[in-house]
Amino acid sequence: MTRRLIVEPRGLSPWWLKLLIPIGSVVAALILGALFLALTGNDWVEVYSKMVDAAFGSERGITETLVSATPLILTGVAAAIAFKMLVWNIGGEGQLIFGATTAAGVGIWLSSSTPPFVAITAVVLAGAVGGAFWASLSAVPKVYLGTNEIITTLMLNFIALNLMNYLVLGSFSPWRDPDATQFPQGRPIIENALIPQFRLRLDWGLFIAIAVAIIAWFVISKTRSGFEYRIVGDSFDAARYAGIKVPQKVLGTFLASGAAAGLAGSILVAGILGKMDPRSLDLGLGFIGIIVAALARLNPIAIIPVAILMGALNNAGPALQSIGVPAATVQILQGAILLFAVGGEFLILNRIRRPERPAEEAPADVEVSAA
Amino acid sequence: MTDRPQSDASPAVELRDMDKSFYGVFANADVNFSLARGEVHALLGENGAGKSTLCSVIAGLYRPDSGEMLMDGEPVAFKSPKDALAAGVGMVYQHFRLVANLTVAENLALGNPEVGLRLSQSELEAEARELGERYDFPVDPSARIWQLSVGQQQRVEILKMLYRDARILILDEPTAVLTPQEGQGLFRAMRTLADEGRSLIFVSHKLHEVKQVSDRVTVLREGRVVGEANTADAEPRDLARMMVGKDLELPTRAPNESIGDPVLVVDNLSVQDDRGLDAVDGLSITVNAGEVVGIAGVSGNGQRELAQGIVGLMKTTGGSVELSGKDITGKSVLQTIKRGIAYVPQSRLGMGLAPGLDTDDNLALKQFREAPYSKGPMLSPKAFKTKGAELIEEFDVRGVRTGLPIRLLSGGNLQKALIAREVTQEHCVLIARSPTRGLDVGATATVREEILAERDRGIAVLLISEDLDELLALSDRLLVIYEGKIVGEMPASDATAERLGLLMSGHSEEQPA
Repeated sequence: MTRRLIVEPRGLSPWWLKLLIPIGSVVAALILGALFLALTGNDWVEVYSKMVDAAFGSERGITETLVSATPLILTGVAAAIAFKMLVWNIGGEGQLIFGATTAAGVGIWLSSSTPPFVAITAVVLAGAVGGAFWASLSAVPKVYLGTNEIITTLMLNFIALNLMNYLVLGSFSPWRDPDATQFPQGRPIIENALIPQFRLRLDWGLFIAIAVAIIAWFVISKTRSGFEYRIVGDSFDAARYAGIKVPQKVLGTFLASGAAAGLAGSILVAGILGKMDPRSLDLGLGFIGIIVAALARLNPIAIIPVAILMGALNNAGPALQSIGVPAATVQILQGAILLFAVGGEFLILNRIRRPERPAEEAPADVEVSAA
Repeated sequence: MTDRPQSDASPAVELRDMDKSFYGVFANADVNFSLARGEVHALLGENGAGKSTLCSVIAGLYRPDSGEMLMDGEPVAFKSPKDALAAGVGMVYQHFRLVANLTVAENLALGNPEVGLRLSQSELEAEARELGERYDFPVDPSARIWQLSVGQQQRVEILKMLYRDARILILDEPTAVLTPQEGQGLFRAMRTLADEGRSLIFVSHKLHEVKQVSDRVTVLREGRVVGEANTADAEPRDLARMMVGKDLELPTRAPNESIGDPVLVVDNLSVQDDRGLDAVDGLSITVNAGEVVGIAGVSGNGQRELAQGIVGLMKTTGGSVELSGKDITGKSVLQTIKRGIAYVPQSRLGMGLAPGLDTDDNLALKQFREAPYSKGPMLSPKAFKTKGAELIEEFDVRGVRTGLPIRLLSGGNLQKALIAREVTQEHCVLIARSPTRGLDVGATATVREEILAERDRGIAVLLISEDLDELLALSDRLLVIYEGKIVGEMPASDATAERLGLLMSGHSEEQPA
C-alpha cells in the first residue's frame, strides 16, 4: 500500500519550533560545510575551531565580530521591514553604498571646527537620508506606476556601486583624497565626525544599530502605526477596507527600509573607515542582510543575534586563509544557512506526517495537500 | 458512453456501512448510500453534516476507515482521485482546480492521459467546443480561465470531467457561486447528463433546488444518513425537519413599526468598474432609519460598485451620497467609517478580515485608532484582549485562540466575527452584501437575527444580496438592480419570486411600483 506523507498547515507554530528551525539550519549548514571540507581534504575540526577562535576567542576576535555585525544588523532590519510588507527591496546594497556616499559627502563638506556631537549626528543622518533617497528611486515608481521593485532595486545596486567607484577611483571629485598619490582613495571626513571607539575598533555605531532594531520591533508591535503596517502586510484589500492609505504605507516602509540600509553605510564611513573606501564598502553587506533577515524570520529583535553570528562568520574568513583554506568557505556556509532557513520556514508553517490511523485531514473542505 | 456494460440493475455506486473519522471524530458513520444509473441524487444537510466527506470518499480523495464501496456491483478501493477518475468518477469541488493562465481547451487536456503529447490547439479547441455545444454549455475554448466568470469556470470544471467521460459526476454545492439564471442552466445540463445515463450527486442545502432538479434525495445529519426518499414524494417541510432535526423556523419578522427619517440618500450615483464602464449608472436609493432596504439582482449588475462607491473604496464619477443630511460623496474610507457606515463586504477573508492576523486584531480592524485600543500613538494590548473576549463571547465566535490566524476559523465563525465588529462600532448605516452566503442554517439564522436587531435599533440597513429567500425574509422594501440602475421597487410584502425574477432578468414593468 502506498503511503504518501501528508502536508498540512499548522495553525499556531509552537515557539520552540520557531527557535529550533533557525538553529537547526545553522547546524545543518555546518554539517554540510564539514562534509565539504572533508571532501576537499581539510581537517574540518581544525577549521571550525580556528573559526570559533577567530570570532570569539579573544577580545580582538569578539570586538571584530561585533564590528562586522553592526552593518548587518542594519541591513537585516532594512530587509526585514520591507519583506514583511511584501516589498521586495533587495537594494540594501545600493542603499548602503549611496548612504555612505552622502554621509562621506557631508563629512567632507563640514567645517572641521563643527562640534563632534553635531558633526556625528549630521553625518550619520545624512546616510539615512541618502539610503532613503536611493530607495525612493524604486519606491515612487512602484507605488504610483506599479513597477517591479525587485528589478529596480537590483539595478540601482550597480548604479550606486559604479557611482561610488567613479567618485573615488575614476574622477577628481570632492570624495577623492587629493593627497593620495599612489592609489586613489576616499578623502577622510573631518575628525570631529568620527564615531568614538570604546574597545579596540568597536565604536558606538553598534548601539545605534541595536537601537534601530529595537525601535523597529517596538513600532511594529506596539504602536498604532505598526498595527496598520501589519494589516497592510497581511492583506492590501483588508487594509483599504479598514481605511488605511495603502500606497502611503508602502512608500513609508520602503523609505524606512532604505534609511536603515543607508545608516549602515554612514556608520561604516563615520566609524571604522573614516572615509568612503570603495573596497571596504563593496562586500555584499546588503545581500548578507537578506540572509540575516530570513534567518531571523523577519523579527527585528532576532536580527541582532543572527547578525552577530553572520558577523562572526565574516570575521573568521581571513583567519582561514592562514591555514590554507579559502576564505570563500565562509560564503558557502552563509549560502547553505540561507537555504536551510528558507526550507525550514516551510516546516514552521506546515507539518508533515504519515497518513496513519487517525487518517488524513480534519473536516469538510480540506485540500488534498498544501501546494 | 456507448457500450458501457449494463449487465444488471446494480447501482452505479454503492457504499455499505462506510465509516470515516478524523482524529477519532466521526465525519461519516454507518453510511449506506446508493446511486442509481441515470439519476440525479441530492445530498442534503447542514454544513458539517458529512456531505463533503461522503463525496470525497466516493471521489477517492479519502479512504474509508471501514465499509465497502462498490461500482456496478464490483468492490472498488480508490487510492487517489486519479484512480477514481480513471474508473469514471469525477468531482467538481467548490474551489475550482483550474489553471488560470491556460485556456479552456488546455485545461481540459491537462492531466488527461489520452491527450499524450498531442498538443494541437485547434484540435483541442474543436473538441472542447463540440463538447460544450452538446450540453448547451457554451464556453469559448480559447479563452483563458481568468477571463471567465465564476459560472463559466464551473462549466469548464464540468466539461473537464465530461471530457474524461466521467459517468459519475459529483457536484459539491455547485449553485453557491451561481446566479439564479446560471443555476437554471446548470440544472438543465444536469438533466441532459442524467438522461444520457450518467449518475449525478448534487450537494446542496437549498430545498427548492433539491426539489427542482433531483430524482432522489439522501439527508445527512451529524455524519449519518437520516433519511432517503424519492424527491417527488418528499415534502420540503419533512426534508427540512430531517436536516436540522427540528422544525425549520424562518426568522419571524416583527412588523416594522417605526421607520424613521432618511439616513442614507444616494442620488443619481455613477461608479465606473475596473474597465472604465459605468457599472452603477445614475442610481438613486433612500434608506430610512429602522428600515431594511433589500437590493436584489443578478451578480455583476453593479452591486459591488454600488457598495464600494458608497463606502469610498471606489471612486464615484457622478451623483451624490448623503449621510444624515451631510454630503459624503467621494469621502475616503476612513471618513465614511468615522461618519458611521458599517460595511459587511461579500469577501470575508481578504477584505472584511485580514486572514493572517488573529481574531482579537481583526475585531479591532476598524476601531483601533481610537480608545480603548489606542492611547495616542500607542496600542493597548489589554484592550485588544478584553474587547476581543467580550465580542467573541457575545457573538459566540468559536475556535478562537490568541495568535491563531483568523483564516483558520470556519465560514460561519468568520462571519460572526465580522458582523460582531461592524455592528458594535458606532454607526447609523449598515451595508451588507450577501451576508449569509455559504453559511449553514445555524449561522445563517444568527446573521439574519443580527440584521433584524440592527433594524430594530434604528439603523438604516442596505442589504445587497443575490439570495432571494434572504431578501424576502429580511427586507422591508425591495429594489431590483439591473445594469447599474434600479428597475423596480416594491414593499417586501408585495414581492414574489416571479416578479423579482422578471425584473432581475431585465424585463421592465409597465409602471413603476
